[in-house]
Amino acid sequence: MLLTMFLLGLVYVVLIGALIASGAGGVTIAIVAVALFGFQLFASDKLAMATLGARTVTPQEAPELHAIVERLCIQADLPKPRVAIMDHNMPNAFATGRSQKSATICATTGLLRMLEPAELEGVIGHELTHVINRDVMVMTIASFFAMVSAVIIRFGFWFGLFGGMGGGRGGRGGRDEEEAVIVIILVSVIVYAISFVLLRALSRYREFAADRGSAILTGRPSALASALIKISGAIERIPSNDLRSAEGMSAFFIVPARAKKSMMNIFADHPPLDQRLAALARLEAQLQGTAK
Amino acid sequence: MGIFDALVGRRSVKGPASRERLFALSTAYVTLETEQNITSAGIAGIVFQPLATSDFTATVKDMEEVVKATAGEMGATVESKDDSYGFRWLIVRDQSSVEDLVVSINGVSTALEDGGYGERLLCAVFAFKDSAGAQIDFIYNYKRGSWYPFVPAGGAQQRSTERELQLKAQIGGELPIEPELERWFPLWGIPF
Repeated sequence: MLLTMFLLGLVYVVLIGALIASGAGGVTIAIVAVALFGFQLFASDKLAMATLGARTVTPQEAPELHAIVERLCIQADLPKPRVAIMDHNMPNAFATGRSQKSATICATTGLLRMLEPAELEGVIGHELTHVINRDVMVMTIASFFAMVSAVIIRFGFWFGLFGGMGGGRGGRGGRDEEEAVIVIILVSVIVYAISFVLLRALSRYREFAADRGSAILTGRPSALASALIKISGAIERIPSNDLRSAEGMSAFFIVPARAKKSMMNIFADHPPLDQRLAALARLEAQLQGTAK
Repeated sequence: MGIFDALVGRRSVKGPASRERLFALSTAYVTLETEQNITSAGIAGIVFQPLATSDFTATVKDMEEVVKATAGEMGATVESKDDSYGFRWLIVRDQSSVEDLVVSINGVSTALEDGGYGERLLCAVFAFKDSAGAQIDFIYNYKRGSWYPFVPAGGAQQRSTERELQLKAQIGGELPIEPELERWFPLWGIPF
């Protein structure tokens, strides 16, 4: 984990160094990037909720879900987040919000229908652990740098195109400028590719941490394991055109909304199910005092 | 939680706060009775998260025997109930005094803490009645060591926030009341 974060930091240091060295388009890129970062931090949760069609529910509308959240909040010593329900057959849950006070826990109607109370408690515990660990904030900051490089790639292509046209017409396009643009693009692409893989690794690590947190919070690792088996079994049986709309949010779902399993392990944002079940089995063994 | 813990996402569940804060009720109830005309209903309960392990089951069994024996000497009865959310309640009925109720409830939490399961404790609930006979619960949050009033109103999942805030003003000087209102968690379906 620490190695992952170290490598992530290293990549950004290299990026900043490369940017300073080239010194191209700095101010504009910075303004755009900061604005996008602010937007991502303050509005992405509302945007995500709206796109997914999730709506917050009162204790009268969903008494059992509220009661589970409340009891786990007492146990976790956490202020109560908003509780939302998404009308969807796909069983899933996610947490959003940049801080513990602005957090929202969302479950789909499919999840509420499918799981027993103890299993639902495990899933809610997993999402509450994301809130406790401030995972939305961590992932936003971590992906900020990846986003900066993505912005630079776009700017780079735009400037590159412009520079090329100017050079063709006037015949005096600066060769140095063109080379600088190409270097920036290359560096950005490499940074993006590396940070992409590292971000996924970070996300996978934090999924394990959330599973562990849920198991500690509820004291029932096997209930969460049972919920994960049920959820993943159902997700694979549901047609994929429903899943596409939810693909962008998959980093925050408890089980990623993806029909195919062909993605390589290194690119996955969630750990494979068998690894998560094995980790939960170890926690259960520790709890029972039978761990070796 | 430190920055390092936040970064690596490792944490543990918080244990119970200092015991003295629970005992604040054994003096504060006098004010409730004399000045506000709110009397004890003679019932209190403690709710915790049972673990399905042999060690925990043995700890709870021993604890129940001790609490039942000591409560029996004081003329109280103890009952164990599981609610629909998988939490275990120990309910103490003792009409004679609030002090004895507090002592019994403290016996349960002390035994669980001594067994190494203090972090499984959630709340203690003490039932009161006002002069009109309406139910008023005082809930003690073990994690935070703070109290808050809980007044269920007529209708599903409805609570009388106005009455709760009045009670806070009336008793806040003597009970350590939870300062953050978003942590005044309701407990629906209290099994007594």
